[in-house]
Amino acid sequence: MRSVVEVAGLTKVYRQKGKPAVKALDGIGFSIARGEVVGLLGPNGAGKTTTIKSLCGLITPTAGRILIDGVDTVKNPKFGMGKLSAVLEGNRNVYWRLTPRENLSFFAGMMGIPQRRSAAYIEELLRIFRLKEKERSQARYLSRGMQQKLALACSLVKGTEILLLDEPTLGLDVESSHEMRELIKGLVAETGKTVFLSSHDMKVVEDLCQRVIIINNGKVVTDDTVRGLQQLFMVSSYRFNLEGGLPSEARSRIEREFELSKIVEDGAKSQIDVELSSAERFYDLVDILKRYGCAVGSIDHKEPDFEEIFLKIVRGEDEEVNPL
Amino acid sequence: MKKLTLFKTMFVREWIELKRYPFNLLSGLIALYLIFLVVFAGYKALGSGSPRFGNTLDGIVVGFMMWTFAISAYSTLSWELMNEARMGTLEQLYMTPLGFGWVCIFRVIASFFLNLLFVLPILALMMVTTGRYLHLDLLSITPLLALSLAGVYGIGFVMGGLALVFKQIQAFFQIIQFVFIFLIAAPLSKLPLLFKVLPLSLGSNLIHAVMVEKESLLLLPPGDLSILLINSAFYFLAGFWIFKLFLGIARKRGLLGHY
Repeated sequence: MRSVVEVAGLTKVYRQKGKPAVKALDGIGFSIARGEVVGLLGPNGAGKTTTIKSLCGLITPTAGRILIDGVDTVKNPKFGMGKLSAVLEGNRNVYWRLTPRENLSFFAGMMGIPQRRSAAYIEELLRIFRLKEKERSQARYLSRGMQQKLALACSLVKGTEILLLDEPTLGLDVESSHEMRELIKGLVAETGKTVFLSSHDMKVVEDLCQRVIIINNGKVVTDDTVRGLQQLFMVSSYRFNLEGGLPSEARSRIEREFELSKIVEDGAKSQIDVELSSAERFYDLVDILKRYGCAVGSIDHKEPDFEEIFLKIVRGEDEEVNPL
Repeated sequence: MKKLTLFKTMFVREWIELKRYPFNLLSGLIALYLIFLVVFAGYKALGSGSPRFGNTLDGIVVGFMMWTFAISAYSTLSWELMNEARMGTLEQLYMTPLGFGWVCIFRVIASFFLNLLFVLPILALMMVTTGRYLHLDLLSITPLLALSLAGVYGIGFVMGGLALVFKQIQAFFQIIQFVFIFLIAAPLSKLPLLFKVLPLSLGSNLIHAVMVEKESLLLLPPGDLSILLINSAFYFLAGFWIFKLFLGIARKRGLLGHY
């Protein structure tokens, strides 16, 4: 599959007089194939927004290359702007004094799409995004969720094939966040758009993305499929359900040998949750249970929590950087 | 064709906002008229004995009109950019493949036309108040006005660039306001060379000639018209070039949109 976005060695250093230089991006590189939905994760200050704004041409990188459809958009930002649209984090993205319809028509116009060509699509967007009943109210009177939907609709009306979404569900209540996710999913399925989205919310990434890029301290830490990441940690999380109690000697040994374990005893039944660092440790644990004659009722894989995975990766990276 | 759509888009947005907030327009009109009344009262008290009273009064009306246009010409863009940055829409405005420079140019052209809505009633009020009815040869006035203001819009682009990088430049506005009074009231006949090099002075003088001395555009000295054309083109292009420089700095420092 041909890459529609290719980023290599992207570096951004902010220098200010009297202050140490800040390296916001430190040689970021990744690529996105046409039609792919890729998530960008990272703790605050990792460089997510700088990455996205560089792709938008809003920030000139200090070094590195951004190719969109094979064209260097650091040198030719206008080309990139014709290919991608963005909903930026913490921004209103839309004009508060204009109605949804006026906003949509404005953003189509910004791309040079005349009204007679955008009218039908605007109508459709108002319907799909359920903004029709509010089409005459100014955007500032809409709920936060509706405003965010409008922002997404405004980026769609531009008709670009790449969509950048920086924290598309931030600040939304559960219901709006869910609706937003469904909308993004739907448009990906129907239009085959390439989506690059950043989020704090692992559920959003898990739910929408095929692949995830994790950055920390301005560097790419992980670039893997969501499934791959999950599988990486899948083998290590187990729940042992025991018939009957757990002898105290067995209990203390498990607790000593398996640091990441949690044991719950409830009279006739016990439960051991463990995180195993390697597959062999599984047999070690089974051996202990066998020696003390524990009856294992069932063993479950625990579905790993994406947030946990993310935290572990980022934490591991931090430890590498600062051995303390 | 796409640029025409962009222009229409910018114009329609201005028009909608103007229509939606008629009170802004009205309060602006009233404030401006009150300032004029103060100037007029002061002038009557001081200069009513002078034999050239009526003639100078005409000059004040024309000068006041020019001043109104000039203030809007140099401040509109920077206000707009500061506003967009505060509202969080500047990045979206910037991200057009047709070029942010064009967005800004179209924005100021739109403001020029919408300003006519603002200035024409003021002009009418001023004429009724003073009883001095000026020669309104629109075919001569409009091109002269557009030409003389083009230079001021150039300065507006410099201010816009400053606003992108430094964000808070309101204090600067006030100083420039007074510089414009000086430029409009400039005694062109005394220092012709200087005032033909500075922006706005020559244009104001030519408009004065049309409105007060009832000249027609075609009968104005061709030399002056050529100088006006060169002068305005220079200030406009230089201003726009400086604006682009500031825009580059803003992109480098990641300032677009941070308020």
